[in-house]
Amino acid sequence: MTISLPPRMTYRDGLATAMRRAMAESDNTIIIGQGVTDHKGIFGTTSDLHKEFPGRVIETPLSEDAVTGLCVGGAINGLYPINTHIRADFGLLAVNQLINMAAKYKYMFGGLFQVPMLVRMVIGRSWGQGAQHSQSLQSLFAHIPGLTVVMPSTPEAILRTYDHAVRTHKGPVVSFEHRLMYDLSFDTDQHPPVTDPFGSRLERRGKDVTIVATSIMVLEARRAAAHLAQHGIDCEVIDLHCVSRPDRKMIMDSVTKTGKLVVADTSWLPYGVSAEVCRIVAESDPGVLKAPVVNLGMALAPCPTAKSLEDVYYPDLHLTIDAVAKLVRGKADHGVPIPTHKSMTDFYKHFRGPF
Amino acid sequence: MSRNDRYQELFRQALRIRLVEEKVIELYPSDKIQSPVHLSIGQEAVAVGVCEALRPEDAVYITYRGHAFYMAKGGPLPELMAELYGRRNGVSGGKAGSMHLAAPQVGVMGASAVVGSTISVAVGGAMANRILKKPGLSVVCFGDGATEQGTYHESLNLASLYGLPALFLCENNGLAVHASLAERQSYRILEHARSYGIETVRIDEGWDFLKIGDVTRQVTDAMRADGRPRVMEVMTCRYKEHVGPGEDFAAGYRSQAEVEAWMAKDPLCADTALVAELKPALDAEIDQAVAFAEAGELPGLDDLLTDVY
Ligand SMILES: Cc1ncc(C[n+]2csc(CCOP(=O)(O)OP(=O)(O)O)c2C)c(N)n1
Ligand SMILES: [Mg+2]
Repeated sequence: MTISLPPRMTYRDGLATAMRRAMAESDNTIIIGQGVTDHKGIFGTTSDLHKEFPGRVIETPLSEDAVTGLCVGGAINGLYPINTHIRADFGLLAVNQLINMAAKYKYMFGGLFQVPMLVRMVIGRSWGQGAQHSQSLQSLFAHIPGLTVVMPSTPEAILRTYDHAVRTHKGPVVSFEHRLMYDLSFDTDQHPPVTDPFGSRLERRGKDVTIVATSIMVLEARRAAAHLAQHGIDCEVIDLHCVSRPDRKMIMDSVTKTGKLVVADTSWLPYGVSAEVCRIVAESDPGVLKAPVVNLGMALAPCPTAKSLEDVYYPDLHLTIDAVAKLVRGKADHGVPIPTHKSMTDFYKHFRGPF
Repeated sequence: MSRNDRYQELFRQALRIRLVEEKVIELYPSDKIQSPVHLSIGQEAVAVGVCEALRPEDAVYITYRGHAFYMAKGGPLPELMAELYGRRNGVSGGKAGSMHLAAPQVGVMGASAVVGSTISVAVGGAMANRILKKPGLSVVCFGDGATEQGTYHESLNLASLYGLPALFLCENNGLAVHASLAERQSYRILEHARSYGIETVRIDEGWDFLKIGDVTRQVTDAMRADGRPRVMEVMTCRYKEHVGPGEDFAAGYRSQAEVEAWMAKDPLCADTALVAELKPALDAEIDQAVAFAEAGELPGLDDLLTDVY
């Protein structure tokens, strides 16, 4: 499927375009959730669609559980529901329906039903989102057979992935969008066409080290790679994208070439994406590793609110550069200068509160 | 159909369900059915009466206690038996068992063993029909215990707010496992439902399939006309233990005398002449279903990973 993209696009425009396309594509699509018809329109991604597609963009009560069940019931009866949660944390109220119902309805009944639906969960970060507006819950859902979990890191990934989800894939997809990326502009022409829209993406070729990253950490990995390239370190960057079905071959081909692996995820390390990527290497051929794996993720605590704490809670560019340089050079005094310290949210400083 | 013909047909359907479940009880010690069974014995008239008023395009969303609704809505019996046996020729190839019955071709849209979890799914079915301009009501069957779940409240609100033709059917057997209503509920089910602006109806005679059929017809006719939800509560009586093939009166959590008083009014217990007349043909059908199940292949490794995504 070819998708024509303008040369530059924000993440938000990618989402808004994907939503409009999904609605225009078929009269069976609905967008449903809290705030989908209001003036903010899920950070501008559903704005005015209720006027264009009356009756199919549906405001809901604060009932995440039953609204998700309603989507499951809609899906098995011919609708394509797109359900939004302005914070992934609120999606936890929908876990019974997502895990016990959506993920099971096909298998448990021996293939009698299909559950085509998309759940959009937004990961919050910065401006004091705190412990309950900031969680990256991808591994919780990726653990469950039956759910496809994606983390688009570019407008290109959004458009191709959502198009594939809506038109072709017949099962439940949970997508984690990152709030910090909504305002960022991306060059859209630098992406090679993908054969599998849900597949992992080789974002940058390099020979010294493999960085496997998710979501906004893909952007940090690319910034780190650009800096490290000026100092003689050549990084290969893989955007894992579909965390529930990582491209094992892409990961192993890369690590076999570089011998060194950094996993940079937006979430906690234990039992998460980092652990899963390490499982892939450990099961496939741990002998290709020339050094221990380095994992970057959130500190193992709930997210603090104070900015000074938040700035040290998340892995950032400086930590990434330092960790990669140490791994490649094999020593702490690796000689790569660390750029002047600026917190990630200051860098992506378009983001100011309240939401 | 004359009153007598109708009585006899509904009686036959209810008896068929009871005899199938009695066959399950008979087979259970052989371990041929390796799945928890939540028997509907005592509650068959609810399924039979309600489904009499439903049309093929109407959907039912059911529970782990689902044999009765599955059969009353027209789910095929041999495939049910094979499903209980965990065979490949079962309705879901052995992946469902007793607790997850479905037959979408006749509008049985799935049974969940997580109490209350099909309620909102049924509301979604009603919404899909409205958006896709398809006919058919959504009927969701659940127990009295399910009304204690938050999702029940959320679903009533959604159905009323969006004006969706979902029939919330509470089979009130007064028990959730071993706990009585008094131990669990601080509200009255229909009073609570009416606070959502939903019309309600209650039937006390849960053994009376004719009355249940009549009332359901009135309710569903009204729903087809106004497109609004309804809540219907049918008082009923579970004769067996919560799960499993036996009786558990000795456990002392309920009165055997009350159950016996109920049985005295249950036509399947009282009308022994009609039972005797209908039983041979039904037994023959059930024996064929058992033979179908026993002849089925066991699912294997080839089936393990199909239909996951
Ligand atoms: C969410 C959930 N909680 C607890 C259980 C355990 N459980 C299974 S059946 C049941 C009782 C349900 O009572 P009711 O809804 O009245 O249905 P009945 O069994 O009487 O038909 C319980 C508590 C469950 N299956 N799901
Ligand atoms: Mg009960």
